[in-house]
Order: sequence, then C-alpha cells, then structure tokens
Amino acid sequence: MRRAKQAVAFIAGLLVIVVMYWLVMNFVKNPEISSLPYYTFRTLLRITITLGISIAWGVSFGILASTNKTASIILVPFIDLLQSVPILGYFPVVILFFISLFQGSEIGIEISAILLLFTSMAWAIFFGVVGAIKGIPTNIVESAQSFGLTGFKYMRHVIIPAIVPALISGATLAWCDGWFFMIAAEYVMYQGNIYSVPGLGYYLAKAAYVYNDLKLSGILLVLITAIVLYLNFLIWHRLMEGASTGTYKPAIKMDLSGVGKLGALSPSWLHLGDRVHRPKSLILFSKWLKRYTRLEKVIAIVLSLVAISFIIYFIAGRIPSIEEFQKAFADPEFANLPVYTVLTLGRLGVAYVISLGIALGMGILAAEHKKVAAIFYPIYDIGQAVPILALFPIFFVTFSRAFGGAFGLEITAIVVLVLDMIWYMFLNVVSAVKSIPSEIKEVGHLFGFKGLKRVTHLVIPAILPAIVTGSILSWGTGWNTIIFAEYMPYELEITGGQPLTLPGLGSYLDKTGYLPPPKGNPIRLFFLLSLIAAIVLLMEGLVWRRLLRKFEKYRVEV
Amino acid sequence: MTVLEIKNITKTFHQNKSEISVLEDISFSVDKDEFVCIVGPSGCGKSTLLRIIAGLEKADSGEILFHGQPQKSPNPKITMIFQLFGLLPWKTALENVEIPLEVLEIKKEAREEIAKSYLRMVGLEGFENIYPHDLSGGMKQRVGIARALALQPEVLLMDEPFSSLDELTAKTLRTLVLEIWHDPSLPTNTFLMVSHNVEEAVYMADRVMVMSPRPGRIVGEVRVDLPRPRMEYLRAPEYFHRVDEVVAILEKGKH
Repeated sequence: MRRAKQAVAFIAGLLVIVVMYWLVMNFVKNPEISSLPYYTFRTLLRITITLGISIAWGVSFGILASTNKTASIILVPFIDLLQSVPILGYFPVVILFFISLFQGSEIGIEISAILLLFTSMAWAIFFGVVGAIKGIPTNIVESAQSFGLTGFKYMRHVIIPAIVPALISGATLAWCDGWFFMIAAEYVMYQGNIYSVPGLGYYLAKAAYVYNDLKLSGILLVLITAIVLYLNFLIWHRLMEGASTGTYKPAIKMDLSGVGKLGALSPSWLHLGDRVHRPKSLILFSKWLKRYTRLEKVIAIVLSLVAISFIIYFIAGRIPSIEEFQKAFADPEFANLPVYTVLTLGRLGVAYVISLGIALGMGILAAEHKKVAAIFYPIYDIGQAVPILALFPIFFVTFSRAFGGAFGLEITAIVVLVLDMIWYMFLNVVSAVKSIPSEIKEVGHLFGFKGLKRVTHLVIPAILPAIVTGSILSWGTGWNTIIFAEYMPYELEITGGQPLTLPGLGSYLDKTGYLPPPKGNPIRLFFLLSLIAAIVLLMEGLVWRRLLRKFEKYRVEV
Repeated sequence: MTVLEIKNITKTFHQNKSEISVLEDISFSVDKDEFVCIVGPSGCGKSTLLRIIAGLEKADSGEILFHGQPQKSPNPKITMIFQLFGLLPWKTALENVEIPLEVLEIKKEAREEIAKSYLRMVGLEGFENIYPHDLSGGMKQRVGIARALALQPEVLLMDEPFSSLDELTAKTLRTLVLEIWHDPSLPTNTFLMVSHNVEEAVYMADRVMVMSPRPGRIVGEVRVDLPRPRMEYLRAPEYFHRVDEVVAILEKGKH
C-alpha cells in the first residue's frame, strides 16, 4: 500500500515536471529555451559529481579526523577555520587560478564551479561524520572492544552503521547547499568578462541580466524549485526515513558553526518528532565549541597562514614585495573600511532581528498547534527548496523597477538575507519547542502558566540554546549571502548600464576580487577575507560561545 | 471525610492508529489526613492516573471529585511533585518556588518571603540563589517539595518522588515528607503517592492500592495499620507481612 503510494507519487511528480518542461519549452519565447533540458542535465550532473567527491572526501577525512588523534589535532581546527571564511569570498581566487591554468577554456571554469560547490558541500558531510563517530556511546565502543572488534571489523560493524544516518543527513544538506551555490558558480563576472558554464543557474542569471526577462526568470525559479522538491521527496526523505530506524543515534542533525549554507532540512525531520533527538546534537555542538585547546588554535592559525602565503605566492608567482603591499592598501576606498564593516554588520543585524522575530513566532506556533503546523510546514517545505541566491536576480529586477536601483538593491539584500536566515531559526525553534521535556510543560500547566507568560517564562528560556545555535547558522549563511547581495556587477538597463554597489564589506570584497587592477588586488582580497573570517570567529568567541556556555545551565536534565 | 473521589476513570491512548488501553474503570477515594499510595508494575498507567487527578490530562470517561466538585483542570489546592523534579533550569531555587505564586499575582516582596520560608522548612536555607544545575538530586526534590507547599494545597500528589534519588537521600526525604504530612500547622495533609517500590509504599502509606499491568485496574488494597513513626517496625514481621500481602496481589494481578 505504502509502496504503491510512493510509486504513484514518483510517477505523478515526474509527469508534472515533464509537463512543466513541455509547457515552458513550447510557450516561452527565448533564443535559448530549447537548451533547457540540456542545462538541467548539466546542473544535475555537476551537483551529483560534486556530491560524490564531497562524500568520498568527507567520509575518509571524517573517519581519519575522529579516529586518529594527531590527524584530529591538525584537521579539525584547520577545517573549522576554513569554513569560517565565506565561500563566495574566495571564489575569485579559485577562478583566477583555474582560468589561468586552463587558459580560459571551459574546463577551467567547470573545475572552479565544482570546487566552489565542493567547498560548500563538504563541510556538512565532514562534520556530520565526525559528530556521529564522536557520538557513538562509550558502552558500545567498550563492548566492541571487549568482543575483540578491531580494525576493519570495527569499521564495518560500529563506525559505518554509526555514520550512515549522519552521512545521509549531511548529504542532504550538501545537496541543498549545491543548489544554493549553483547560481553563483555557473555565471561569474570576473575582470570585466563573463565566465559561465551551461546550467540552470547560468540560464537563470542570463534571463534576468541579459534578456531582462522577469517572466522567464520567475518560470525558471519555479522549475528549479519543483525539481529540488521532487528530488528531495524522492531520494532524501526516503533515505532519511530508512536511516533513522535501527541505529542507536537516529537521524543525526549536526549543527555546525561558521559560514556555510547548510541548505534545507526537510520537514520530515520535524514530523519524525521524538525520533530526531536534537538536544543531544546541541550538547555535542556546545562541547565542540569549548573543545579547542590553545595548542590547537595556534596550530590552526599557523597552518592557515602557511596556506594563505602559499596561495598568494602561487598567484603572484613569487613572494610579494613591500611596494606591492603598499600598493594593495593604497586604494582610496580602503579608508572606508570601518564604515563598510559597520554597514554590512548593520544589514546582517537588521535581517537577523527580522528573521529571529518571525521564526520565533512561527516556530512556537507551529510546534504547539497542529493546525498552524499544517499551514507552515508546506510553506517551509517549499521555502527551503528555493535556492535563495536564485531569488536574487528576480527580486533585484522587481525592486529596482519599483524603487530605483540603489534602494532596490538595499531592499533586495535585506529581503534575500531574511529569506536565507529564517529557515535555520525556524527549524531550530520548532525542534527545540518540540523537545521541551514533558515534565517542564506539565509544571507550566499545573501552576497555570498561560499565553504570553508561558512563552516568556517557559518556552523561550527552554529553547535559548537552540536559538543560539540557529543564530550561529543564520549568521554563517548570512555572510555568504551578503557578499553576493551587495554587489550587482552586470551592466543592466535598470542601473543605467553601470554596475551597482551598496557600500559595505561584501561589495568591497567583490570589487577587490572581481575587478581588474588597481581596484582588484589579490593581497587586499586576502586581507578582506581574513578580516571577515576574524569577525566571524570573534563573534563566535565573544558572543555565541559565551551565550552557549551560559545557557548550558538552562538545559533540562532528563 | 472524603477529599478526593476517583470515579470510573478510563483512558485509552491512540498511537499510529492502534489503541492502547491504559486505565480501565479506576475508582477509589482518599480521605482527609490520609496517606494513600498507588503501587503497580511499570507501564500500568499509575502516573497517567496521577496526571488525570492533577488535571494535566483528560480521562476518556469518569470523573475526579474534589470535595464533591468535579475537577477538570489544574487547581492550586491539589498540587504535585515530580519524579524528575520538574524544576525550571533557568530559574534559581527561590525563583522556582516563587513561580506558582507569581501566577497567582502575589507581589514580589510577599512571594519572596513565602518562598524563603518554605525553602527554610525543607532545609535549603542559604541555597536560594543557586540554579538547579548546581543542586544535588535530593536538593532539587526539596525545592520541588517547597514549591508544591508554597501554594498551601490540601492535597499533595507525588509521582515516584524518590525513585531518581539514591537510597540514602530517598530515606531522608521520606522522613521529611512524613513530617510535613504530620505537621498540623500546614494545610497540606492529604497525600497521594505513586510508587513501584512496595517497601516504600508500606512504610509510608495508610493504604496501598495495587494496580495490574496494562490496562491498569485496581486489583486490591492493603490497609497498613502499623503505628507511626514506623522506623522501628522496618525489621518487624508485621511490616514484612504487609509487604508480602502487596506483593501477592501484584503477582496475582499479572494473570
């Protein structure tokens, strides 16, 4: 019965998508419309290949980092540091490297697109695997040892079963990350030239910027969302349901810090309810944050300095001279850096407050009222399947038509940021409210807490740790998005044929990375990247870690 | 005088389209100044029954009468202490005791005064500003007791209050609870406790109600007429006789 239902859903979904394609290809007029299936195929192939690479890398390095102490001391802080650098920030470096390596041929762009996707996908899998292995209960490890399971057998009977759920959820996140970054990776303006590889992201960007066709971009967005939704339901939901039974730590949701759009979780996680044991991952997460020793931090910093100078050396061809350093920072805009930092932080802050407010309201309502949940979950389902960066061109064209270029871009930036940040908060709030222990809820009921008093005295304090985790994730993904959102490099009709920028750290980074010299400058680019990484780490250390440690006490012991 | 009357309570849980009958036609009553204990195997629905009496859950049929009045929602005159203490981790010991008073909209100074006096009564003077995280299990349950007493209830419901404590702590707290029950200066004098520890039940209660495994029914009742304080009877044959009686009913109830 269930199987039959699934088969029907499978075929019906496919049919809907085929019909959609047929309609679009027959009724939309655009010179490139006949290539739509080919673009879809290329994008799917690209994301799938990258996913394969990410899984191979994530599993092997994850196992290495969690079973070998030396490897862990070197790898984990290094990777944590790497992922605190916004992915979109170092894209120009990657592009520069591969374009020069392959002399501008498509393969170079293809490789840089895959590398960008890889850096957005791999972390989720790596940290999922590490978290899962660390999370194997001691009694299981000890009993395996006492029965003499070592080496390969230990791997097969203990490690692999433990990481399968994490792998599936990590791969799901990675898969959605892939869609998120696709649009940024497939169509890039670098030093005045547009570098692109065929794909849906490329076509979407072109529809908005080149054909200036809002209808087509809207249609493409709907198509992309439909495909993501369909594949989510087809593959990931099923895998996740299958994986969450029969393991001792079902459906591990890892929470990870720093920058990295973790993309969408499906609400089946929410429906699974008690099976998804979130507090545990929260505990793991906060332990994670507190774990670094000074030694590890020093090693990580030294390693990244070595890596950075290596890359600079590679790009400049030699170690830069003092004059080159002076030249790098002679840019007149450089003096505005403090203002830019404040403006960008302000944008992120505004978007964060808005999304926190909406997510809290929606999340608490959805977690406690079935009827509200019945409305919100489908919205969530669709909302999280829309690749947020893909909304950008559409919003920009719409808002700038209504409000004019600069103000339109400002509004677009905030709206896109909110849409990007809100899902983490929502997901964390819902699952945290759902996992408030029944005794606490009963105490509230017994002593007559109602309405707002109940929310402020009981619900919000109980979910504070989850709010902090959600905030870290939101800010992480926000940093990525703002690098994309402050800068409109294309010479559009609406912007009077001029590139458009919002003053801020993100746009300055883009200009430094993508424009030809003297505006573009690799040394300054690295400086700005390190600055952002430093801000991210500083916020983590000064704000989030402290809050988590403080709220640790608030955790209800069950 | 009858304080609590439990009449024909039935409860069924619905899970994944299957129905699980938890409680079947439970009836009994509790008198003023009485200490009644409900004993049963785990999963027999005794905690659910206690929650229905507290107004935290609804029965499918039957009713709870408090002084003859039907009870449907929580009532400050009937309050409860929990197995896992149910303290809010984000509030200090004092604030936790203040919570129910705050809901009743008692002024800040007045409720602090009341809360402090109850914390003193359970032996937690000096621990007012400590968070539950830093309290031992026994201390947490003391806060739970103080919080329940602060409402000056008539009936105190206890859901396996000692089962997550070590035996030594449990022993001390049993004595504390019995002292509170005896204390004529306190309005709280009707106690209903759920336990799976037969010795504990016989030691503390005037009457032990025995429940069968799921679906929970009352399969028997043992009156414990040993004189109090019972500490000296803990090795007496009369005491073991009552314990055996309860165990025999429990065994019989399995079939």
